[in-house]
Amino acid sequence: MNRSLGKALGPWALVMALLSGCSGGMPRPMRDLDALLLQAGPSQAPALAGPWLALIGHRHNRDQVQLLDLNQRHPVPLPGLNRPDAQPLSVSVDSSGQRLAVVRQREGRTELVLYRRELMGLEPIAMAPPGVPRRVALRADGRELAVEVSRNGEWQVDLIAVP
Amino acid sequence: MGLVALLVTLLLAGCGSASWRRRNAGSVGPTSNRQDPALSGNGQLLASLVSRGERDTVILQEQRSGRLLPLPQLQRLEPHRSPSLSWNGRYLALVGQQGDRRLVVILDRARGQLHRIPLPGDVELERLSLAPDGQRLAVGLLSHGRPALQLIDLSGLLEADRPGGLTSVGGGVP
Repeated sequence: MNRSLGKALGPWALVMALLSGCSGGMPRPMRDLDALLLQAGPSQAPALAGPWLALIGHRHNRDQVQLLDLNQRHPVPLPGLNRPDAQPLSVSVDSSGQRLAVVRQREGRTELVLYRRELMGLEPIAMAPPGVPRRVALRADGRELAVEVSRNGEWQVDLIAVP
Repeated sequence: MGLVALLVTLLLAGCGSASWRRRNAGSVGPTSNRQDPALSGNGQLLASLVSRGERDTVILQEQRSGRLLPLPQLQRLEPHRSPSLSWNGRYLALVGQQGDRRLVVILDRARGQLHRIPLPGDVELERLSLAPDGQRLAVGLLSHGRPALQLIDLSGLLEADRPGGLTSVGGGVP
C-alpha cells in the first residue's frame, strides 16, 4: 500500500520539482519527511506548529497520538497520553510542542483533554454546558483552544483559555 | 499527613476545574451551527465553518469585536473544509472544491491573492494544517482508501507570518 501511495505521488513530486526549478516560487513536497511518514504507516488528522507535527497514526493495531519533531526527524515520546482503551479523534499542538489538546473516546464517552509534555500529565476539560466535543484547535501560543461541541443537536464552538 | 495530602489534592483539583475560563463563539446569521474552528496564532482571529444552504462556508471573525471579515476570493470554492490560519491570520488555508475536485487553497489576505496548491489527482483531500509561520503545510489525504499525510514546503511561495510580523492590509482585511 505504501508503494501505491508512492507511485501516486511520484509524478506529482516530479512536476512540482520541475516547476519549482522554473519559477523558484512553487510549493515543494518534503520528500524525506513524507517517506518517513509513509514508513511509519497510516496517519491522519495533521496539526503543525513550529517544528512540531502532531498526528493520529495507526500503530500496533490501534490509533495513537504521535508528535514528530520535524527538525530532528524523529517522534517524541508522550508518556501517559495514549491508552489502549482510548481512541483519539482530533489532536492539536502548540508551537512550543509542550501542550497537546486531544479529543478522544474512552469508555463510551467523548472527552477533551490537555496533555502537558513537561509534566507528562493529562487534564480533562469538562464541557460546560454539557456537550460532546469533536474537533479541537490549540492556538499556536498555547494560551487558548477552540473546540467544536455538539449541544442539543447543534454544533457550536467553545473558546477555552488555557491556564 | 495522608489526610492533609488528600485535602490539598482535592482543593487543587477544584481550583483546576474552575480555572478553565470559557466562552461560546456565538452564532452567526440565521444559523447557530459552527464547526471546524481554527485560531490565528495570536488569537485575534477565529475561522470556522457555517452551513449556507447545503454548503459549508468558511467565516473569519475578529475575536475582540465579533466582526466578520469578507472573504470574496473563496466564493465559488465551496464547500469549504478544514480551515487553518497563520500566526497573524495573514494566510487562511483550507480544502475547497471546484467542480467535482477538491483542492487546497491558501488566501494571502495581505495581498488579496489566492494560491492553489497542486496535488495529485488520484488522492482525496481530507484535512490540512498550515504552520503558524506559513512556511509548511501538512495535508491529510486518502490514497486508495488508505489515510496518509503529505508535507509541503511553502517557503518559496509565501512570506513568513511570524509573531509581531506583518499584519494584514487590503484584500478584505480590517
